[in-house]
Amino acid sequence: MTSTMSKQEVLNATLSTLRANLPELKGVLVATADGLPIAQTMSAGTDANRVAAMAATALGLGKRIGDTVGSGVLTEMSVSGTDGMVFFYAAGRGVLAVVAPAGMNLGLLMMEARDAATAVSSVL
Amino acid sequence: MTRPLKLVISGPVGAGKTTFVQTLSETEVIATEAVPSEDIGKPSTTVAFDYGTLRLEDQELHLYGTPGQDRFDFMWDVLAQDALGLVMLVGGHKPRDFPAARGILEYITARHQLPFVLAVTRQDQPGVWRPEDLALYVQLPPHQVIGIDATNRASAATALVRLLEHLPARHDQDVTLLT
Ligand SMILES: Nc1nc2c(ncn2[C@@H]2O[C@H](COP(=O)(O)OP(=O)(O)OP(=O)(O)O)[C@@H](O)[C@H]2O)c(=O)[nH]1
Ligand SMILES: [Mg+2]
Repeated sequence: MTSTMSKQEVLNATLSTLRANLPELKGVLVATADGLPIAQTMSAGTDANRVAAMAATALGLGKRIGDTVGSGVLTEMSVSGTDGMVFFYAAGRGVLAVVAPAGMNLGLLMMEARDAATAVSSVL
Repeated sequence: MTRPLKLVISGPVGAGKTTFVQTLSETEVIATEAVPSEDIGKPSTTVAFDYGTLRLEDQELHLYGTPGQDRFDFMWDVLAQDALGLVMLVGGHKPRDFPAARGILEYITARHQLPFVLAVTRQDQPGVWRPEDLALYVQLPPHQVIGIDATNRASAATALVRLLEHLPARHDQDVTLLT
């Protein structure tokens, strides 16, 4: 799809597919590595600018933690709480954030989110 | 042995925060740089923090550099938590960033009671703002504003020395409790 679609179209299409495949998700966002939002479908009440900045911070921190424990090239960083989770995927020169409610099927989420991250990294 | 002092280094984009920590740290610096998507005149920008340590005047200092963009204000808050002092950096070559520096300073000091010094970087370059002029401009006492070259160890250290002078005398109760 990359050849005929613009970068923005690919990003929007990727997020739409992800939301369609995982309707429980609370929000999905793509940010630049320095924390600016470039595509997003966050639920109302969540500040996309803030999530984008935090996604960059999480990935930056995740890389350093990974260096320290020798886990290699960073693929993902996550935060889990009693009421939900957020996953940050390294996606080329950007980051994909996936906000999920508690109790989701994590195997399915991982699979779909990694596909989306691959699609995002193909244009970033 | 006294406990390490946690100090925060903040200021607008390009003020020299990462440079300052890298110049002064005696241990390997933990940096979190990313490629900027805006033109900020340099190839990388901090997205989480810089961390470095040094000994100065028989004190162990832990330096935490912040990101500079407003969108990272949550990191200013996180890093200022439990800090004992703040070095605010502004680029002497970038007077248009002075209001941004004031914004960061107000954001941090409204949430955390921290003694601070204001250090104007790029004093090794011609045509830049000098500390005495900046002190007048921002109406701070002259001893709270210093000029430094953030790329030079001795010069950068003067900002820390000045900040240490502004810290309340440290009592050793904590230490007694620990030993
Ligand atoms: N000559 C000179 N160059 C400086 C001085 N301070 C900083 N620089 C240069 O200015 C640039 C500043 O970059 P950083 O240290 O990344 O600035 P920062 O404040 O960490 O910026 P952000 O992380 O993007 O907010 C670097 O290229 C430094 O070499 C200084 O006092 N003198
Ligand atoms: Mg920096």
